[in-house]
Amino acid sequence: MNIENLTQMTQFEVDEQPHIIVNKEICKTCDHRACVKACPANCYTWDEETKLLSVVYETCLECGTCHVICDKGALDWSYPRGGYGVRYRLT
Amino acid sequence: MAKYFDVIIVGAGPAGSLAALKLARAGISVCLLERGKHPGAKNMFGGLLHNTPVLNEMLPDFYERAPLERHIYKKSLAFMTPEATVSLDFENAHYDKPPYNGCTVFRPAFDKWLAEEAVKAGALLLCECTAEDVVKKDGRVTGVTVKGREGEIRGNIVIAADGVLSFMAKKAGLRQDFKPENMGVGVKLLLGMPEDTINERFGLVRDQGAAIYFVGAMGDIRGGAFLFTKLESISIGLVIHLDSLKASGKAPYEVLNEFLEHPSVRKLVKRGTPLEYSAHLIPEGGYKAVPQLFTDGMMLAGDAAGLCYTNGLNLEGINLAMTSGTLAAETAIESLKTGDFSAKTLSLYKKKLDASFVMKDMKTFKNATGMMHLERLYKTYPQILAGIMETIYKNDGAARSKLLRIARKAALKEVGLKGLISDGFKIGRSLL
Repeated sequence: MNIENLTQMTQFEVDEQPHIIVNKEICKTCDHRACVKACPANCYTWDEETKLLSVVYETCLECGTCHVICDKGALDWSYPRGGYGVRYRLT
Repeated sequence: MAKYFDVIIVGAGPAGSLAALKLARAGISVCLLERGKHPGAKNMFGGLLHNTPVLNEMLPDFYERAPLERHIYKKSLAFMTPEATVSLDFENAHYDKPPYNGCTVFRPAFDKWLAEEAVKAGALLLCECTAEDVVKKDGRVTGVTVKGREGEIRGNIVIAADGVLSFMAKKAGLRQDFKPENMGVGVKLLLGMPEDTINERFGLVRDQGAAIYFVGAMGDIRGGAFLFTKLESISIGLVIHLDSLKASGKAPYEVLNEFLEHPSVRKLVKRGTPLEYSAHLIPEGGYKAVPQLFTDGMMLAGDAAGLCYTNGLNLEGINLAMTSGTLAAETAIESLKTGDFSAKTLSLYKKKLDASFVMKDMKTFKNATGMMHLERLYKTYPQILAGIMETIYKNDGAARSKLLRIARKAALKEVGLKGLISDGFKIGRSLL
């Protein structure tokens, strides 16, 4: 069994306001960008050409792995506004 | 809506809701804030609700009414290498009758049910409210603000049960930054499966359940895996140390997918229907990472208080959470009688925790955190164990050795005498 696109089976109430804001300037000089790999929902992407880190907050599972793993202070991370974000049905 | 309460509880998880129930029953005005659409919508754990005496005391008909799945009858511990699995199964008739030693639950259902019990007792539950900051007056916590809303909710006491990433604890100055070495990330897949298939596959009848803990088979990553049976689904997932995940350069779902491909795991999950994927952090820093638990006007409970531990055999959190919530509520009741909400009065909470199994267990296994960071525990020792078993059973015409000789040879070859002494000391200090 190998599951593709794991987050597609999880429900989200997407807020128009992002709850994660990336300081792209700091990320340019980061020596590990561990967030890209460590995020369980694959929310972070590093573009080698443009040297930009981007985040898709819409499928964030709100676990906080990126918040804890980022040691550069590049993430302004908070919980989404009440009622928004991930909505587990069964787990 | 009244904006002043005797007690404000942040987070309608097991700790917060049980605290709310206790307070509401004592006739205290209590406001329970939850950031999800409903309690449990943001919550995830492996799947096992341990038997918790305070829960049974407060809700004696809990087994009849709570949304439970299966009671755990069978526990297994499996050490794995990429090719082999050495497993220890424990089945026990004592686990087959109430009070059950533990039951599997779905958190969105269970947390919702528990919060509703608090509401029935008179607590005010406000969902879709993300607490953003604490309000302080003269150095004392006197309330919280809610994200995206005007105004604030004030009260005499705030119980922060806002989970592993307790921003309330941080804003109140009760804890330092969250550190990767004190955190594990849990990722989990829920697989739908017919009841009969589960019973046949795991050797169960009726609503008996199985819990399997796996060590090894994750390459150089420090972490373990778990499997819990629900009525018509199984939860399977991993807990990975965050510092080790970072060092590995791997994605958690990649590690999970690889784990699902292990020959011993593949047949357990075969033909399962993927239903939901989830992830959550776990406070794994143990006793030494427990933050300051109270300040003027505020107490921490559950994961927010870092009350969670693992020693390789036990993995406990939800029972500690509910017990700590109840003790925080008891302390709040005492302090409301005197009208004194100072840190000095609330220090009674720490005394109550110290006297309960919660802090006793945290202390007993305070060295286990160090042991759980031993790299060899996850790769080398399962390999040694599997190697010993292979040698014992192998029929290849070679003359056999006695057990101790096989074990000594395998262990010395892989770890060396110095390593064995050092690891033995760490493991001994943690468990023996």
